[in-house]
Amino acid sequence: MILIKSSRLRAVLRWLIPLAAIPLLVAAGVALFPQKQHLLVSLGVAVLALVLFLCGFERRQTGSRRMVLAAVIIALCIAGRFIPLVKPVTALTILAGMYLGGETGFLVGALSAVLSNFYFGQGPWTPFQMLAWGMIGLSAGWLCRPLKKSRLLLAFYGLLTGVAYSLMMDVWTVLWYDSGLRWELYRSAVVAALPHTALYGVSNLLFLWLLAKPVGRKLDRVKLKYGV
Amino acid sequence: MQGFTERNPISVAVYFLAAAGVAMFSMDPVLLAVSLCGAVGLFLLLDGLGSLRSHLWMLGLFLLSAVINPLTYHNGRTVLLVVNHNPITLEACLYGLAAAGMIVATLYWFRSFSRIMTGDRLLYLLGGLSPGLALVISMALRYVPLYGRQWRRVEETQRTLGLYREENAVDTLRGKARVFSAMTTWALENGVITADSMAARGYGTGRRTHFTLFRFRADDILLLVLSLVLAGVSLWGAAGRTVQYYPVFCLSPLTGRALAGYLAYGALVLLPLILQTKEAIAWHFWSWKK
Repeated sequence: MILIKSSRLRAVLRWLIPLAAIPLLVAAGVALFPQKQHLLVSLGVAVLALVLFLCGFERRQTGSRRMVLAAVIIALCIAGRFIPLVKPVTALTILAGMYLGGETGFLVGALSAVLSNFYFGQGPWTPFQMLAWGMIGLSAGWLCRPLKKSRLLLAFYGLLTGVAYSLMMDVWTVLWYDSGLRWELYRSAVVAALPHTALYGVSNLLFLWLLAKPVGRKLDRVKLKYGV
Repeated sequence: MQGFTERNPISVAVYFLAAAGVAMFSMDPVLLAVSLCGAVGLFLLLDGLGSLRSHLWMLGLFLLSAVINPLTYHNGRTVLLVVNHNPITLEACLYGLAAAGMIVATLYWFRSFSRIMTGDRLLYLLGGLSPGLALVISMALRYVPLYGRQWRRVEETQRTLGLYREENAVDTLRGKARVFSAMTTWALENGVITADSMAARGYGTGRRTHFTLFRFRADDILLLVLSLVLAGVSLWGAAGRTVQYYPVFCLSPLTGRALAGYLAYGALVLLPLILQTKEAIAWHFWSWKK
């Protein structure tokens, strides 16, 4: 915290905010707005997960080089969102998770979402987007061994995460609109988002197919050359 | 005296969370109408009358969101017409209108928020979580324009060398891929050199200090407290009035508590307008005296 000088108070706040303040806010919100409880609970859980992760980031000694490399990939993701139609964000997040570790992948996904949304429109969907992209990066870190081995598996993983990302964001759209998850509305949201879903999946597949080898080689080279 | 936009980012962020939060979670038509007017008004105040296209787009979104509910949901007692054996009900239309108002109002609140939150303010807000995070954010934000420039530079060089052809889509894609490859290598190396330079100058050896222009002045605390209190009162008031859409649209009678909630929310929505106008008047008189 910039405002709080005492490091002990800072440490207390770091645990108090996610573990006490956010659940309390959600509980109060549910008591006041029973119509929107699903949305409130999901939003609370998303923010909780993000704050816990980002606070944990400071505790571990990540090393400044790894941090700078994460910043480089985040900047590439943000710049990549300016490409019309196909977006390389998920592909780059997956590559960051695979080559720099799952935690860096989570950081790259989550921060690319929140920072690029300042160019592309911030909204209440931001925490979900952060969590979704972050989890994609984290799971790529877990699966790094099989993904590095097989290019076909990697492309399939990209397609799958693109579709899963879109379906998850549709759940959130419906929750925001209505008091619960109504099947007809979800179906129409999925149908309306079908071109986007297809585009996400295909652009992930395309970018992973094209980028995986060269970018992976570059990352490996930088790791070897500078001993990150 | 500062206007609304120049206040401490924490106060401004809390204000937006309060104003948008009440709109996001309430289905009370009065609150939603006030929120929609306030959100659009604030954005116009900040942005002027430009960007007409985005407003038209928002209008389209509003209409689409209003229509989707009655088309997919057929509960409600008052049937307006029957389409393909499915009744279109008044109640579903009203719910659709309310949900559309909620969505568009929240979008406008967030648009104003994004306009006010420049890079330094963002860093002040998010960097509060951890110094390491603040570093990653500031570097990433700084790299975006840098990479844009570098991309153009590499592209121009490749074009001059005759390596970059745009005769067909495949050639364009290949050229772009080559530019991207060159830029990524450069970016990664540049990043590591930056990290080494930081380490050489002692990064991470001591406690990190921040320079920031933002302090908590009395005005900032006032804005923070006012936002929280007004949002609290409006939530309390809104909870006192039940809104029922199905099977029949029904608002419980207006009580003093609900009215207090509406007034508090109205005051909350008007807060930036009041602050900005006050600033404009003060500035006007100050320059007039001189």
